[in-house]
Amino acid sequence: MQEDKVKDKFYRDIANLTHPNEKLIKTHCSYCGMQCGMNLRVDTNKNKIIGVEPRYDWPVTLGKMCPKGVTAYQQTNHDDRIQFPLIRDDASRKGTKEGFREASWEEAYDLVVRKFKQIQGDYGKDAMSVFSGVSMTNEKCYLTGKFARVALQTRYIDYNGRYCMSSAAGGFNRSFGVDRGSTFPWTDLHQTDCLFLAGSNTAECHPTSLFRIWEVQERGGYIIVVDPRETPTARRADVHLDLRPGTDLALANCMVNLLIENGYVDEAFIQDHTNGFEETKQLVKQFTPAYTSAITGVDPEKLIRAAEIYGEAPNAIVAFARGIEQQIKGVDNVSGYVNMALVTGKIGRPKSGVATFTGQGNGQGGREHGQKSDNLPGYRKITNPEHVAEVCQVWGIKPEEMPKAGVSAHEMFGLMNEKTIRGLYLLCSNPAVSAPNSNYVRAALKNLDFMVCADFYLSESAEYADVVLPSVTWSEDEGTVTNLEGRVIKINKAQEPVGESKPDWLIQVELAERMGRGEYFRHLTSARLISDEFRLATKGGLADYYGATWEKIDQQDGVFWPCPDDEHKGTPHMFLDKKFNHPDGRAKICALPYRPPAEEPCNEYPLRLTTGRVVYHYLSGNQTRRIPFLNDMCPEPFVEVHPLTAKQYDISHDEKVRLYTRRGTAIYKVKVTEAIREDTVFVPYHFGHEQSINLLTIDALDPISRMPEFKACAAQIEKWEVSHNA
Amino acid sequence: MPDNHGNRKLYIELDNCIGCRACLAACTQCGGHEERNRNYVIDVNPLVDRQTMPIMCLHCVNPPCARSCPVQAIQIHETGAVLSAMVEKCLGCQNCTIACPYGIPKFDVEQSLMYKCDLCIDRTKVNIPPMCASVCPSNTLQWLTEEEIDRKMERHTLDNGTWVSSNPDPYLENETNVKISLPGILQNKIKLY
Repeated sequence: MQEDKVKDKFYRDIANLTHPNEKLIKTHCSYCGMQCGMNLRVDTNKNKIIGVEPRYDWPVTLGKMCPKGVTAYQQTNHDDRIQFPLIRDDASRKGTKEGFREASWEEAYDLVVRKFKQIQGDYGKDAMSVFSGVSMTNEKCYLTGKFARVALQTRYIDYNGRYCMSSAAGGFNRSFGVDRGSTFPWTDLHQTDCLFLAGSNTAECHPTSLFRIWEVQERGGYIIVVDPRETPTARRADVHLDLRPGTDLALANCMVNLLIENGYVDEAFIQDHTNGFEETKQLVKQFTPAYTSAITGVDPEKLIRAAEIYGEAPNAIVAFARGIEQQIKGVDNVSGYVNMALVTGKIGRPKSGVATFTGQGNGQGGREHGQKSDNLPGYRKITNPEHVAEVCQVWGIKPEEMPKAGVSAHEMFGLMNEKTIRGLYLLCSNPAVSAPNSNYVRAALKNLDFMVCADFYLSESAEYADVVLPSVTWSEDEGTVTNLEGRVIKINKAQEPVGESKPDWLIQVELAERMGRGEYFRHLTSARLISDEFRLATKGGLADYYGATWEKIDQQDGVFWPCPDDEHKGTPHMFLDKKFNHPDGRAKICALPYRPPAEEPCNEYPLRLTTGRVVYHYLSGNQTRRIPFLNDMCPEPFVEVHPLTAKQYDISHDEKVRLYTRRGTAIYKVKVTEAIREDTVFVPYHFGHEQSINLLTIDALDPISRMPEFKACAAQIEKWEVSHNA
Repeated sequence: MPDNHGNRKLYIELDNCIGCRACLAACTQCGGHEERNRNYVIDVNPLVDRQTMPIMCLHCVNPPCARSCPVQAIQIHETGAVLSAMVEKCLGCQNCTIACPYGIPKFDVEQSLMYKCDLCIDRTKVNIPPMCASVCPSNTLQWLTEEEIDRKMERHTLDNGTWVSSNPDPYLENETNVKISLPGILQNKIKLY
């Protein structure tokens, strides 16, 4: 917003460099939830994207980009783009790249529709499923939910946010009654006095937050980092709480206990605006520094110091990410850390609050508008008849036609394995790499009667498809995305689709027509028209986008939801009136008993395995592994091992080891580093096939968010024979 | 009005580096660099911690690379930027790669030509920040006015015996246009509370 530009100390008015025969298209990055502003350089003779130029006037990131952002444009005209629909006639070659032939759209659509109808005719509507993702625009996310319910008429739709943001959503909904990933705009971040970061390797996963984070220290404020590894962010932290993976809830309870014990609570705030304090106070009493240290392995003195710094801070922000969320108690961890803000009243005012670092580009918007098994546009619930009626009115169907709630992403693979689900339309996701316990997931994909995958590259998951439909990259379409602040922003089209590729929304509109459901879709002939219907469908919901028009987004540099009408400017800060979204207007301080990870180390599997990102790759790596610069920087996975652990196993730096768990095994090069706990090993998750660490991870799910416990399981290392190392 | 005037210089705050190498990726994107990056980011002690640092051309006031060039292929721009060797003059003798105290000039074996950072001269001559400092997400690389650099220098030239910024000698070999602060910027920082 204009106001931000004036206020933000980092903002400078800088003109862009332009070259002859070139135009700049302002847009945002295709990757993470930071959604860094960028300009794509377009050759006006060839009408092709040829490069990137910083977008200095984007108020959140001011031209800054990580190496993924700088090279993102190289995806568009990449040699690996799928240019035509692909059909594989020989199903025995599923699970490989082999056997595909190019086909026309007509032939592909005919086959897809024939198979969809056949499966649904033989086994019922619910035998078809949709597995989607949130690295795409709100318009596409919205339409995908509608496509599943109205065109396919199936209950089985879910999305990869179950591997990403669902625990944050569950925790925020429970604590606040609403799930907006950040209660403050990112331009507040550097102005806080204490930044408490839990389970976020910010420097590698959201690098363009770092200039603001370092500024907290430059100003004399404090950074506290909770992480089993000494990440580049933890390296500079004032206090690094180096806990055992999977023990966050104990640490959060200890923080709350110490804040209460040492008199840092805001009694008036608790009294007037929250429920659950007394019960929580009783529960956390047990979590003394000594008791918590025994569970977490963190020095009691550091726990005391961290609570003191947070408690003393005039303003403080608690922010977290997948480290705490990808656990069987991810939702509890979120509410547990949110408790710190609620007992001290450090929320509902500028420069204070809580936030989650959204992983995927549209991880926020994509979880609000109906791709989740029980969710409808505007953060409505499919289990609520009023909500169903509201959405049915927009869609023009009868409430009794609305399918019931389905199951979570990972549970869909279970239904594929037992043949309840027989057909799959997969888009914007690569679960053959990104889902836990890959052997189980890959078997499920192979077990399908028919699978369609829409993607712009032949992903590891596309290798299981019968038909691959070429979709477009983010740069060949337009629409809105909701970034990690909850700011709705605009992605702009910079060139025409490569080859015969089509945007996902167009594929769905055309498929719906052929499924005999065209009347509900054929008016949606542009992303703009979908946007208009989408905004209307959110009207009156918790996540109300009705007033977030494309014009307003352009004028204001984004619109923070909720934005219920044309006059409304949006809501950068949540809860300024101290009103939360539970029916009584109060936030919930949650009493959360500690429980250990689903799988604790034992004699056979004595190490704790945790996973995460490197700065050069995004999610399953289907995009970034194809970008030369990024692949050169990190061409293969590795296992990080502490030198004392390495010594114990007689393994050395760069040597290959076999890492294994109860579910799977993989061979990795060792990276010896003191920047990890002795009892913990780390492997990045961006790699496919036999290199995928998700062959080893556990698929134990959080009871509320159905998020798998990617971040903690029991593992063992074995020296890989010398002959193999040659 | 765009703030593309005033004499800004590159300033490096080493302690901020997170090793993302966006600077190297961006270096290939300035439009005049043949998509080759011209600087370095190193892991300081990779078996121990995650500390990294960029090694950028410091654009010496009296540059050894240019002085060592037998054919004056390395020109100095009026802004102080030490340019890459002119292709029509460069002999490929590699004197510059040996002369540079920081190991900056790179050598293209196939073309037998030296190439180095020119501080994105197309950008910086009109005071648009170089690509590396434009994108640097951690503010390790900053594009500052002389007054801003003076303020940094004041703060950073504390005589505590453990850390200093570039200039005066003996910490760097010579006077450089790019200013640099060695790790330790947070020492002696007075906390807010």
